[in-house]
Amino acid sequence: MSGAIVAIGGAEFTMRPENEALHDYVLSHARPREDGPLRICLLPTASGDPHDQIVSFHAAMERRGCVASAISLFRLGVAPIDFAEHLLSQDVIYVTGGSMVNLLALWREHRIDEIMRVAHERGIVLCGYSAGSMCWFEHGITRGGGAPAAVEGLGLVSGSHCVHYAQDPARRDCYRRLVGDGTIPPGLALDDHAAALIRDDEVVEAVRSRESAAAHRVRPGDGELADEVPMEVRLLPVSATAPESGLDEMRELRRARSRSGGGSRLGRLS
Amino acid sequence: MEVDSTVVQLPLEENRQIVAFGGGGFSMESGNPLLDDYVVELASRRRERPRVCFLPTASGDADHYIVRFYRAFSAAVCEPSHISLFRRDRGTADLREHLLSQDLIYVGGGSVLSLLGTWRAHGIDSILAEAWRAGVILCGLSAGSLCWYSQGVTSFHGEVKLVRGLGLLPWSNCVHYGSKQGPRDAYHQLLRRGMCPGYAAEDGSALHFRGSRLFEVVASRPEARAWCVGDGGDQVIETALPTRYLGEPATEEPPKAGNLQAVA
Repeated sequence: MSGAIVAIGGAEFTMRPENEALHDYVLSHARPREDGPLRICLLPTASGDPHDQIVSFHAAMERRGCVASAISLFRLGVAPIDFAEHLLSQDVIYVTGGSMVNLLALWREHRIDEIMRVAHERGIVLCGYSAGSMCWFEHGITRGGGAPAAVEGLGLVSGSHCVHYAQDPARRDCYRRLVGDGTIPPGLALDDHAAALIRDDEVVEAVRSRESAAAHRVRPGDGELADEVPMEVRLLPVSATAPESGLDEMRELRRARSRSGGGSRLGRLS
Repeated sequence: MEVDSTVVQLPLEENRQIVAFGGGGFSMESGNPLLDDYVVELASRRRERPRVCFLPTASGDADHYIVRFYRAFSAAVCEPSHISLFRRDRGTADLREHLLSQDLIYVGGGSVLSLLGTWRAHGIDSILAEAWRAGVILCGLSAGSLCWYSQGVTSFHGEVKLVRGLGLLPWSNCVHYGSKQGPRDAYHQLLRRGMCPGYAAEDGSALHFRGSRLFEVVASRPEARAWCVGDGGDQVIETALPTRYLGEPATEEPPKAGNLQAVA
C-alpha cells in the first residue's frame, strides 16, 4: 500500500502549539516500527538548507522520541550519504517550504524525485508545508519567480494544490484564475495551519491546529475565477509534547477550543 | 543589448573576462583581500564605482555568506548587490536586467550540482552567458569557478564526478588542487577517461581568461600555483603556469598568454 501524504498549508518547527499539534498529526500516520523509534528525515532543500531550520526540526522530532536526520544538498561535502538508501529507510520524509521551482530542479539534479516515488510506493509517509506540500501534487502555485505562477510538481497526488491561501491574496487570485480557465486541474487550497491527509490519491480528511484555518476545494464554476467550496476541517487536539515555554499559548488555545464546543467535528470528506 | 555609454568597452574578445579562483577571496581567506581586490580593480576599469553582484546560489543562499560578502565589498569602493534564488519574492524582480547592468558577477562556493540545477530552473545560465558576451566580468571560487568551464571535477558529494558547466571556457577545471590528494587523483582519473584538457588551480590562485584564452595567473599567497593539465597518452601531463603574486609589485615582463594555453 502506498504511504500517506500529509499536505500542510503553512507551518514551522518553532515551538508554538499550532505547529506542535501538526507534528503529532504527521507522526500518527507513520506505520509503527517494531525495531525501534520512528525515523524521520528532513529535506530543507526548498529554503536552501538553513541551519536554524534543521536545528529546530531536530529539537521538535527528538522531543517526540524520533530518530531525526536531515539531508542538505548544499552541504554534502561534510558527510556524504547514499540518498536512496537513507531516504528509503525512513518512516516519514518531511519537506520544508521555500522555492518550489528550486526544490524540484534540485531534486531532479540529484535524482531525489525518483527516490520519492519509490518511497511513496513503499508506504513511507511523505509530508511538508508550503512548497513541501505542493510538491506532491500535479501542480502548485509558486512565488519562486516573484509573481505567483503555476509550476509542475511530482504528481503523486492528482490535481492541483495552493498553500498560504488566506494569507497570500495574490497567490489565491492566481490559483482561482488558473483553475477557472482550465490551465491547471481543480484541487485543494489550504490556509496556514490547515492540513490534509491523502491516501491512495484521495483526501481522507482536513485538519487544523488553529481555529481560524480553513481548507477549500477549488474547481471551475460559472465565473472567470474558480469556485471555492469550504471543506469540513477537524480541529486537532493540543499536543502533549508542547514545551513549557508555550504554556500561555496553549492555555489560550484551550480556552478558544472550549468556546467552540470541543472542536471534535470528525468527518470524512467526499 | 543596448550599449551602456557609461561603461568602458574593450575590443570584443578582450572584453569577455572570467577570473576563476581555485579557492580564496573573502569566503576562504579572511584578512587577505588580494584576489577580491584584483577582480574589483578589473571591474573599476569599466566604471569608477563598479557594480558587483554576488550569487550565493551554491551555498543555498546562506545568510551568513551574504553578510560576509557585504562586509568584504564595501559600498565605499563599489555598488554591491546580491541575488537570492531561494527568496525571490523579496528581491530583484528582473534578474536579466539586473545581471546585465553589472560590472562584476561574483559566484560563491558550495555545491556545483545544486548551483547549476538552480540556475537552469531560473534561466540564469543563459543570462550569464549573455552578460559575459556583453563584457560583464564573471568570477568566483570553487563551485563558482567550475561552473564557467565545459567540464569540471567535483567530489563535493563524496564520489568523484564529472560535471558539465556553462561551457563559456572550452576547458576542464579542477579546484582546491594542491590542498589535498583527492581532487588531483580524481582529475587525473577523469582525464585518462577522456575528459578534455584544462586547468587546475590551488587555493589562493586564480586564472584570468580573456575570451577563452588564459591571460594571466595571479595568486594571493606567494606559494599558490596553477597548472595546465592534459592527457599525454600513458600519463597525465601537468605544466606549472607562471604565476604573479599579487602581494608584490608586478614584474617587468608579464607572462605571455600564448604560452599558457592548455594542450588541446
